[in-house]
Amino acid sequence: MNLNYKRYRLEVSPPKQAVNHLSERLTRFDEKYNKAVDAGHCVCVTDNAMGNLAFQGHELIQELKLPVRFGQVMIHLNTFHTLSDLHWILDSCGELGIKEILVVSGDGSVRLPKLKPSEIDCDSASVTSVELLGYIRKIYGSAFILGAAFNQYEPEAHEILKFRRKIEAGAEFIVTQPMVGRNELIEKVMSKTKIPFIIEAWMSPNIKLLSDCIGYSIASEDTFDPMACLESLRNAYPANGFYLALLDFKTQFNNFQIKA
Amino acid sequence: MKIVVCIKQVPGVSSVKIDPETKRLIRDGVISVINPFDYYALEEALRLRELHGGSVTVLSMGPQKAEQSIREALAFGADNAVLLCDKHFAGSDTWGTSYVLALAVRKIGDVDLVLCGKQAIDGDTAQVGPGIAAHMKDWPHAAGVSAINGIEDHMLSVNRMIDGGYDECLLTLPAVLSVIKEINEPRVARLKGWLKAEHSLIDIWDADQIGADVNLLGLNGSPTRVVKTTPPKSRDRKTTFFDGSEAESAGKLLYELRIISAI
Repeated sequence: MNLNYKRYRLEVSPPKQAVNHLSERLTRFDEKYNKAVDAGHCVCVTDNAMGNLAFQGHELIQELKLPVRFGQVMIHLNTFHTLSDLHWILDSCGELGIKEILVVSGDGSVRLPKLKPSEIDCDSASVTSVELLGYIRKIYGSAFILGAAFNQYEPEAHEILKFRRKIEAGAEFIVTQPMVGRNELIEKVMSKTKIPFIIEAWMSPNIKLLSDCIGYSIASEDTFDPMACLESLRNAYPANGFYLALLDFKTQFNNFQIKA
Repeated sequence: MKIVVCIKQVPGVSSVKIDPETKRLIRDGVISVINPFDYYALEEALRLRELHGGSVTVLSMGPQKAEQSIREALAFGADNAVLLCDKHFAGSDTWGTSYVLALAVRKIGDVDLVLCGKQAIDGDTAQVGPGIAAHMKDWPHAAGVSAINGIEDHMLSVNRMIDGGYDECLLTLPAVLSVIKEINEPRVARLKGWLKAEHSLIDIWDADQIGADVNLLGLNGSPTRVVKTTPPKSRDRKTTFFDGSEAESAGKLLYELRIISAI
């Protein structure tokens, strides 16, 4: 199974777990999903991002009877699940034909259970994306195309070590943290590996949010233009695919389609 | 087995304001969530139903908007739900609240077990569970329950967390338990559950329907008087960034930690 890593990957946040306006929120998800898939892109559904409880991608796809085409659905999967829920997600993805899984450690919250090392037969102190990748590979073999994250904002030596461990554990592609310009570390790592790197672009005008996540100011709030940023990243990394975080489907999608 | 789970809707934020007149929390305009400890009670009820059969009824006293939390509990898999809603209930202390809940348990009828979280995070009293048992007259109550070991011949074996460990005790059914978070790991609700809960029927009972004496309700019927409230002092926190190489900044961090005797 060869994925088209140059296809745009569009992040679509699943509705949060709440009863208010549930039908309307599901409809909005349905519309975004179909819009992206119909345009030939890959939809990426997050897994309880920032620790906020949301519906799982596969259950939304099942319930809303959304189309699953090879290479057009990516599910995020983090370590904040019970073992039975983890298998529920992966088994359901298998049944639906979802192949692309982005394995991340996740944010967690008091409402989210955390996988325990003993549950997945590993002797580490805690379960990170590395252990989860290894477990999925061990149990599901090559049923899925597994990806992992690369955080270029972490100290270089530490992140390169983690990158190697993720590859050894079974990651076949990498998604970076959001970028707003060229990054030396990313370029250095990409030059030494054949693993496909998908560049994440920050599509929200609210760059402060990203700066807050990273811990320092990454770009000027007054001048940050997401579309211009994407254009410069495309020029800087013409051989790479792109993951678009926080894309605004109302204002950005059509512009972005022309450029795609 | 017929199980009732009591849940409370509490403010979903850590900074709440207090009404200077009534000395009670101002709940208007504040996001509300299920009291975190009540998830453990609900989970335990669902597990008991899976083991022994029967039904789980969610019971809550509160304003109409508490329906949101009740629907969430239904999304987890509870079978029935009752909201106790009446202007006479407003301002009830833990004694008045447990009186109302106990009357509702009687009205539900043939209940084997009432489960509560150990306490609500807004009032922090841990009195409603024992209060329900007191109003049910001869029902036993166990607090700090960390495990339900088994049920046999209308006897319930539970572990209670105590200083330095736990004890095991037997209760005759029907009983009331206040559970702590060590008892289980609550499940995460699924979309199918939420869709079902969105349209589930919630019974709404007022004071008349449960046969409550209005003199025992609200501020007038509550023996507790809050005479003063003081917000906790905010913790002084500051962030320091250390410049330099990794080794230099680690050295500076070590120095600062030694100055404040943290290491």
